[in-house]
Amino acid sequence: MKRIAIFVWTLVVLSAPDATAQCNSEALSNQCIPKLASGFNFLKSYKIDGEGGAKDKVEYSYVFTKGTQYMINICAPNQPTDGIVVTLYDSNRNKVATSKVNGQYISAIAYPCNATGIYYIQYTFDGSSTYCGGSALGFKR
Amino acid sequence: MKKLLIALVALTIACGSEKKNEEQAFMEELNNTEENSGPTVSEAVIGDILQQIPSPLEIAVLLKESGKKYNASLLNSPDNLPKYNSNYKKALNLGIYGADLGYTNIYEQNQDGIKYISTIKSLADGLNIGQFFDIETIGRLATNSKNLDSLLLITTQNFNAINHYLQTQNRANLSVLLLTGGWIEAVHIMCSVAAQDPNNKVLQEKIGEQKVILENIMLLLPFYKEKDQNMATLLEDMQELKKIFDRVNITYTYKESTFEVVNGVMVIKDNSTTTIDITPQDVMDIRNTTLNIRNKIIS
Repeated sequence: MKRIAIFVWTLVVLSAPDATAQCNSEALSNQCIPKLASGFNFLKSYKIDGEGGAKDKVEYSYVFTKGTQYMINICAPNQPTDGIVVTLYDSNRNKVATSKVNGQYISAIAYPCNATGIYYIQYTFDGSSTYCGGSALGFKR
Repeated sequence: MKKLLIALVALTIACGSEKKNEEQAFMEELNNTEENSGPTVSEAVIGDILQQIPSPLEIAVLLKESGKKYNASLLNSPDNLPKYNSNYKKALNLGIYGADLGYTNIYEQNQDGIKYISTIKSLADGLNIGQFFDIETIGRLATNSKNLDSLLLITTQNFNAINHYLQTQNRANLSVLLLTGGWIEAVHIMCSVAAQDPNNKVLQEKIGEQKVILENIMLLLPFYKEKDQNMATLLEDMQELKKIFDRVNITYTYKESTFEVVNGVMVIKDNSTTTIDITPQDVMDIRNTTLNIRNKIIS
């Protein structure tokens, strides 16, 4: 009985619409670029594709340098962030910043870096309906 | 294809006579399929490291913001373009000219910038990646300093697109060279400016913290040393530079950050610090060694 259930479940999953195909994370990341605050120079755009919930996080990394201020923002199809949270970790995986505070989802983080090193930019999905978004990274001195 | 494989795996499990727990077997097969269809570990690692390397634009902005004057003599002359016939030289010098273009853009030196745009387009065409360099738009933006933001944006986007494309086309070696060239040029410019201002501690620290980026580059180059003699030689040269950077000490102290939300933006107060111990002799040695490597690349 269990085997049949697995087989039926697999068929249902395979016949369902492909959630990943609906995520245009590239367009969303491009939308995020002009939303960087004034004075910030664009550095990178990041695609956030949770593949319809198959992925619980999407991670990138970048070398941040002391004395430079960075901005990371989030764009999502429906609401401002659609439950997408960006969390910044240092090279030792200490949490440096997160965009979720007191249950509120903030769509941009400004990070004046005081310690040069590799930082991990991790996007997670907290009650997201689309698991899809984009992000841009900018800098200013 | 992947869906078909998953279906076949599911069918096998459903019809098979093994006593093994079905769900466990299903997940194991699924994991194996995922691994086989994904990129090799080295390609994924290369991509991860490449994306970390910062833009040379950050150095140009630092120099301008600290009041340093524009100095075209620090840059690689566009007249050197005909010297670059191999893909190796083209990719490295594309990175160098890219950093130079960023420098001219930041200083709003449009006439010089236009020369670099044309040079970059030629090199990019030679590497079959010219389609990512929108020379018409960039050239138009470069004629008016009011377009600086757009110019910086589009050039950064073009270089990002080139790097992404090279990695997807299994030409990440060229991406490594492009980024290495850009980094060498940024360090060369920074060291040259520092030499004229030997008491500038901020600049010295900026040079010292390049150790972090060099460590990334040194992870990448060995991937290609067996197959490409040019890259093996570059690796040897860069190892000499690394020996000097190894004398630089970077001490990191973590302290939990604080934050406040201002106009819908979370503004972080970073309480962590790094201290960078670098001597004037280190700076001089970094400068000389970088210059030697750069001279080999641009000649």
